[in-house]
Amino acid sequence: MPEYLQQFARQAREFLGAHAARAAERADFRWGEGDDRVPYFGADPPEVEARKLRAARDWQRTRYEHGFGWISGPPEHGGRGLTPVHELVYDRLESEYDVPDTGTLSVIGLGMIGPTILAHGQQAIKDRYLQAMYRGDVIACQLFSEPDAGSDLAGLRTRAVASEGRWILDGQKVWTSVAQHSQIGMALCRTDPDAPKHKGITAFLVDMGAPGVEVRPLRQMTGGSDFNEVFLSGVRVPDDHRLGEVNGGWRVALTTLMNERATVGSEGGGPVAEALSPERLSALMRATWTWDDRALRRDLSELLADMMATGYLNARAFRQMQAGVTPGPEMSVAKLMYAQNLTRAAHFVSRVLGPRIIADTGEWGTYAWAELLLATPALRILGGTEEIMKNILAERVLGLPKEPGVDTTSPFRELP
Amino acid sequence: MTDGKEELDELREAVREFLAAKSTESAVRASQPRYDHAMWDQMARQLRLPGLSLPSDYGGDGFGLTELEVVLEEMGAALLCSPFFATVVLAARALLASADEAACARFMPGIAAGQTIATLAAAEGHASWDPAMVAARAQRTPDGWALTGKKSFVLDGTVADLVLVVARSTAGPSLFAVDREAPGLRAEPMTTLDPTRPMATLTFHQVPAVLIGAEGQGGRLMSQVLDLACVALAAEQAGGARRCLEMSAGYAGTRFQFGRPIGSFQAVKHKCADMLVRVELAEATAREAARLADKAAPEFGVAAATAHICCSQAYLFAATENIQVHGGIGFTWEHPAHLYFRRAKSSELLFGGPAVYHERLLDRLGI
Repeated sequence: MPEYLQQFARQAREFLGAHAARAAERADFRWGEGDDRVPYFGADPPEVEARKLRAARDWQRTRYEHGFGWISGPPEHGGRGLTPVHELVYDRLESEYDVPDTGTLSVIGLGMIGPTILAHGQQAIKDRYLQAMYRGDVIACQLFSEPDAGSDLAGLRTRAVASEGRWILDGQKVWTSVAQHSQIGMALCRTDPDAPKHKGITAFLVDMGAPGVEVRPLRQMTGGSDFNEVFLSGVRVPDDHRLGEVNGGWRVALTTLMNERATVGSEGGGPVAEALSPERLSALMRATWTWDDRALRRDLSELLADMMATGYLNARAFRQMQAGVTPGPEMSVAKLMYAQNLTRAAHFVSRVLGPRIIADTGEWGTYAWAELLLATPALRILGGTEEIMKNILAERVLGLPKEPGVDTTSPFRELP
Repeated sequence: MTDGKEELDELREAVREFLAAKSTESAVRASQPRYDHAMWDQMARQLRLPGLSLPSDYGGDGFGLTELEVVLEEMGAALLCSPFFATVVLAARALLASADEAACARFMPGIAAGQTIATLAAAEGHASWDPAMVAARAQRTPDGWALTGKKSFVLDGTVADLVLVVARSTAGPSLFAVDREAPGLRAEPMTTLDPTRPMATLTFHQVPAVLIGAEGQGGRLMSQVLDLACVALAAEQAGGARRCLEMSAGYAGTRFQFGRPIGSFQAVKHKCADMLVRVELAEATAREAARLADKAAPEFGVAAATAHICCSQAYLFAATENIQVHGGIGFTWEHPAHLYFRRAKSSELLFGGPAVYHERLLDRLGI
């Protein structure tokens, strides 16, 4: 690590040492002891969720007050003025401490929407929201996907019509994470249906408390509700809440998507990663007397080899970023693999468990895996379906031609 | 070890340029089953490749596996036919693993300078690298040792000047050095699926030999050499897989059917993306294993086993799908796709293949 980073790392350690406890050494795993849940999605009861959210906001405020809340942000908006590399270094250090999970604030709001406001927002909006977001006061969500616009995001239909110096929004958004906790949302709307689909979209910042905004939880196949539907009915948005140019919203959206938080290290921790460690999987095989099943052992090796390879790929991207080199396609590949690895792992475990994963015998560490199994179909869809990710890899990395079509040249209203 | 990406890129560029000129497709096809001595000399004199990763005490340049990995990726991509792998990886690593300083001082400078072609004869008729399966015998004689037995799958066994042999003495498997001209040694080429990697059967009848290292340490030595050989092979495989991907992407972008490039069809496009994913993973594992070897990190064994699995699978997948993307032309003798397919299949199984490599990974993980 170069000297300027070492100095920053010392400051970060000092801050963390004063405000957080070091994470406890992971206790030796013993079959049958501790929590056996393998949750990919949160499934906390409401009062626990509320308590965790308060803790997350408090911790973000503490970070901010000590200069670690917006490390790469510009000083005129309350940021620290350092680089994304500093941010990576801080994240690595913080992972050694026991601190509240701030994902509700940071994944979408601070990671994606903050940079978008910074790049495309009008001055009044930057002044009003940026500092408040990074101080933990304002949570933001992303109002992008619609029932008829999933992979084909540019086919969105939510309308925004100009009226007396402001905009009136009507439509429906779906798969919106953290909308129930958000004060603002970034909405993509159709403003010119006569233009080709990418050229008639405008981006807005919507006050989630405004009249006409309705957030309804969406119950997913796991039985839990981790996403929402957001209905916009005659919602009034002042023109200074517009991001970017009128009909220039696609460019704004690309800024948001490009800031989709790097998946570096995302496999490194958490209860799922721990449950899928070689140690835990072999303990599971011992406990179920499948230890010497040759077919299962081969499956396990195939799975672990790919999980390890994905980890190496992530680590390489991290080292490149730390050295100031922009990584190649590693992140996209790692995302694809992460989804596949987790899916394969859940099915591997179910083959080990046999009928114990279709009905609960009460035995520790068996039926509990159903939670992960039911979550895995989401992984190959969310954040860009596997099919779209492969298109992107083939077109941007390998230079293969796009599928020919009229949908990018015809007026939006003429598309089927 | 070089610390910078720039140095590695420069090395890669130099090797790539050399191979583009010397290891052309026609050279690859023509060199079967022998290699080109003049090119080997140039590789040694101009690029100093044989000595690159060997210790400077023995005439090498003292770089690590990280640098060797780059060279091997390029050699794999170009399907280079040469005794480089047998000499620099198998034989030289076996000498180093023996910790026999006298033997290293005697044999290594010739290897580093490119004057000695060497190989390691470990496997026998059953192709196993399990030391328990070594049947070749070593007996003491008044002036040393004599070997009797048969070794198969010996890489470049008909051209090696120096043959290192694992044979069983009363103390167990041990390493011996044999001169190719020694009386009682017969080398016969095997017919191989992959003509770019010649193999031989060596028959020993009371062949005079020199003991390398301590008697009975052959088992440990085979396992150490195998880990390093798997990483080196992984580098070749990653390079070969990358080349198959490039061939497929290039062809899919220019071959027209139904009035458009076939690469614009998702069925073909996604096949290429799947190849890219496998190639990226393969490279990451091969490079990580080399990096950990250079750091003498305890996780090296796991990384080596992982690289062997991932790179074997990636190469076979890429070589197979490369033929599919090319369609009929990819199945012709004239098209190079089958050369990669042959190399990929042969590399996957060279050290035993899935039948043993999965258990090796689980073993390294303590499972």
